[in-house]
Amino acid sequence: MTLLDRLLDPFRGEAVTIPPYDGAWKPNTALETAARVAALPEADNLVQDSGGAVWLTGGSTLYRLEDGGVTPAGTFPAPITALAALPGGGLAVALADGGLFLRHGGESRDLRSAFPVAVSATALLASDENTLLVAQGSASLAASEWVPALMRKRHDGAVWTLDLASGKAGRIADGLAFPSGLALDETGAPVVAEAFAHRLTLLGGARPRTVLDRIPGYPGRLSPALGGGWWLAVFAPRNRLIELVLREERFRADMIATVPQEYWIAPALRSGQSFLEPLQRGGVRTMGVRKPWAPARSYGLVARLDAAFRPLSSLHSRADGERHGATSVLDLPQARLVALKGAGEIADILNREPQP
Amino acid sequence: MTLRERLTRLRYNRVPDHLLGEILSKSWADNLVPFAFLVVVVAAFGMLLPGFFAPSSLLDTTRQLGEFLIVVLGLTVVIIGGGIDLSVGSIFALGAFATLSVIYIAEGPVWLAFLAAIGAGAAFGAVNGFLVGYLRLRAFLTTLVTLIIGRSIYDILITTWGARIQSSPVFNDSFDHIGMGALWGQPISALIALAFAVIAHLVMSRSRIGWHFTAVGGARRSAFNVGINVRRTIFLTYVISGVACGLAGFLFAARLSGVGPGTGLGLELAALTAAVVGGNSLGGGRGSIAKGLMGAVVVLLITNGLIRMGAGTGTSQLIVGLLLAAAIILDVRWLKNRHKVLSEVYVAPLHHAMQPAQSALPGSGTAYALNDALAAAEPIALGTVEGPEDVILDADDNLYAGTRHGEIVRWFAPDYTRSEVFAHIGGFPLGLAMGREGEIVSCVGAMGLYGVARDGKVSELSTETRRSLFSVIDDARLRDPNDCDIGPDGRIWFTDSTTRYDAHDWALDSIESRPTGRLLVHDPKTGRTRTVLKNLRYANGVCLSHDGQSLLIAESWACSVHRYWIAGPKQGQLETVIRDMPGYPDNINRASDGTYWMAWLGMRTPSFDLALRHPAMRKRMTRNLPQDDWLFPNINTGGVVKFDESGAIVATLGDLGGAAHPMVTSMREHKGWLYIGGILNNRIGRIRLPDADPAWTSWNSYWGGPVSGDPVSGDRT
Repeated sequence: MTLLDRLLDPFRGEAVTIPPYDGAWKPNTALETAARVAALPEADNLVQDSGGAVWLTGGSTLYRLEDGGVTPAGTFPAPITALAALPGGGLAVALADGGLFLRHGGESRDLRSAFPVAVSATALLASDENTLLVAQGSASLAASEWVPALMRKRHDGAVWTLDLASGKAGRIADGLAFPSGLALDETGAPVVAEAFAHRLTLLGGARPRTVLDRIPGYPGRLSPALGGGWWLAVFAPRNRLIELVLREERFRADMIATVPQEYWIAPALRSGQSFLEPLQRGGVRTMGVRKPWAPARSYGLVARLDAAFRPLSSLHSRADGERHGATSVLDLPQARLVALKGAGEIADILNREPQP
Repeated sequence: MTLRERLTRLRYNRVPDHLLGEILSKSWADNLVPFAFLVVVVAAFGMLLPGFFAPSSLLDTTRQLGEFLIVVLGLTVVIIGGGIDLSVGSIFALGAFATLSVIYIAEGPVWLAFLAAIGAGAAFGAVNGFLVGYLRLRAFLTTLVTLIIGRSIYDILITTWGARIQSSPVFNDSFDHIGMGALWGQPISALIALAFAVIAHLVMSRSRIGWHFTAVGGARRSAFNVGINVRRTIFLTYVISGVACGLAGFLFAARLSGVGPGTGLGLELAALTAAVVGGNSLGGGRGSIAKGLMGAVVVLLITNGLIRMGAGTGTSQLIVGLLLAAAIILDVRWLKNRHKVLSEVYVAPLHHAMQPAQSALPGSGTAYALNDALAAAEPIALGTVEGPEDVILDADDNLYAGTRHGEIVRWFAPDYTRSEVFAHIGGFPLGLAMGREGEIVSCVGAMGLYGVARDGKVSELSTETRRSLFSVIDDARLRDPNDCDIGPDGRIWFTDSTTRYDAHDWALDSIESRPTGRLLVHDPKTGRTRTVLKNLRYANGVCLSHDGQSLLIAESWACSVHRYWIAGPKQGQLETVIRDMPGYPDNINRASDGTYWMAWLGMRTPSFDLALRHPAMRKRMTRNLPQDDWLFPNINTGGVVKFDESGAIVATLGDLGGAAHPMVTSMREHKGWLYIGGILNNRIGRIRLPDADPAWTSWNSYWGGPVSGDPVSGDRT
């Protein structure tokens, strides 16, 4: 039949396939029903500093998370795109315009001049006392412009190291498909989440090695889990129609040229805000219900990975849910916080929202 | 428009891609491959063998064809019935022997010989039928055994009596005439075969027993469940096959006036090959006499042609065997993949450049700006009604709506908490209208136009119109009747939205954007239905204007409303009233202040508008993605629009969150309230209209108000 198949293939369709939510990725509503901690538009970048304080960002403002909610702790000249706690105390704050501030005590200093080019960081990670790993989504577009970067098929991301003592930066990998999360393997080598390739890649060897692929979404930030392993925030789902549009060069070019970005056939952190957004057949509301398994542009998904980056379990907010666009996870002994940039919320997945 | 886009439009709007899918969806499409093969075989031998189709050669071929064809047709009946008959060669030989023994040994008349042959065939077929049908033995092994037994009996008979037949001095002229004579220039055996084929075709396609054969072959258990006597039906198929073999044996004996040990040897292979190459499925239930005919011609031409070309018996058998194998593979693959091929090729998108529309965004300041007025609608029958496409109220304020369960349900005034099934129709009732006597007229999805009297009695009004001259698909059928209204003279005007998709797949029509919608008119006086307008992009709502002179027609995928004049000086003219709306219009109904209500079933999105200009992209989308992933217009947000006679927009109502009324397909004003329906909704909503005339009803507006002698005034004072 192989010969017959080969003869017939030009006349057949070429199916667009995406990995299913199965195994460790099996859907549930754990993220949708998690307890709400605070509401904050554009909530993102949860970190705990060496002093035990919990920080997060919303737009250009840095916030501190306390029992009563969030309190502003400083405003920066551009939207904050990444945040990391430094082992020696203080925070590293990356801005959409390429700024990189070290904030310690009341002072902050800008290290953007350490880089030979403007680097808009999507993720930061202190790999040791003196070294900061910097993930750059795209060399040509800012970290916040991930949708245009995807639709223009930019595969020009890079990972940099910044020596905090000397202020010197160096590029350790480039040509990556939108790096958007950083972690370290057991030997201390950097692992990067390549969002547009739906995989985690180990750097540091002679050549990059894939440690996890076929992720059913766009992988974002990685953060250490208590008890070993990592948490992975998957900020948007894969969708067959979007994969088709990514193949349709002419249609995509016309769409980029003539359609406002929020109405593109593209993944998003949240969807269903306007009737001008695209709709797929499976998403049609029938008898008052939207199917949870409907194809969606946005989704809520965080996954627990083991130390070898194999998925163990996942928490979902499905197509019919609200808690979409998870961008970072912070695992604390008393709470496991998830920043939902799409929903504009902080949720605690250790606890459930009280059910009426 | 760029040159490239112009070329795209030329390619997709001028080349009729949709015909391929329409042809493949026809049941006769299965005949195309065997027919093409027949043409190829005829052409090939015609070229390779000069004189192959000369009259003398042809006469001999047709003589052989007569006998062979009858055997093949008998076998075709068995195969359609889900069985197989390998014993045809033996029965054929026994039939020939019976004929000859009557003529040459018993010196009997021709009619007796004929009866002997038929009788021998029927008896042997009955044995097969008894074993396979009643004792339920396996057809393949059983007929293999009877093949061997029949052949052995024949061998015994021929060794014992063969010499007496050969040396018989009898000359029977009429017998020889049947064998070698001709009528109107055609061999008699061929004419008999032709008559046999015609009768068999009529029986298989037009008679009860023929349908039973197909039903049993297609799904034995289902056939049993609907009350068909499965065992007797199977028994009969083998008897028919036996009779056919007996008849063929009679003709063979008449042609050669003798038999030998080789008579009928290997016939089962040739006949089986013919039946399968013709396109009859060995699985049963799918086949026809025409297929058997084509297969018989092909196999006979190939075997004769090969012999002429000097190929030995072995080679010829080998090629027939290979042909059988190829046909079986093709049949299995086709049967398995037919629906996939059809679903891949059926949707044939057009290039359709929509003009930009005014914004409907809230706060955009246009007349179309949607608000959240419908979100606050008071729900009726929430969670208990499914799919109220249209709603209507009677003089006693009772509310009626169709449901996807095929019913028209009545909710009782004043609070609409009690309900009853008013009428059961079976199909999905869509548009509703109320006649002078209070009777309801409804467009029923995939069925047609139906009337429901005040006592709930359902009557069929119209299920077909005149078929267009050059349509592949049967467009006489009403595939998606959608909305109707009644003229002052009692004529019922209604739309049939598309000829390409069934009612439940209505939204797929938007992806294709092919204008196949129609406006029709049914005249109850004559019972006739006529097509008035064609080539509308999803003809949807239809509403008689307040003056009764014209109809307003919604063309959904064109986002336009047209006026069609049915009376007055402009009678027969079509003009566009509203164009380039930001939403897709559905039903239209009268409002109390002399304007009109129009439902929006969905909203245009920039991505879908762009996709309409990229038919190739949409084609690949339909081929490469599951249907659930196809890009749709946004039918999760709808609305209600009010417009006046000139087409100016007076008001726009919406439900932006979509929790209560995402898609709106209809609305009806009644005594100061607006009732809202949606084909995919689980509720009917109503909102108070503070400025509306609290006494106004739609029925009064049509039929002249509460005057004395009003037949539906009921208990109204």
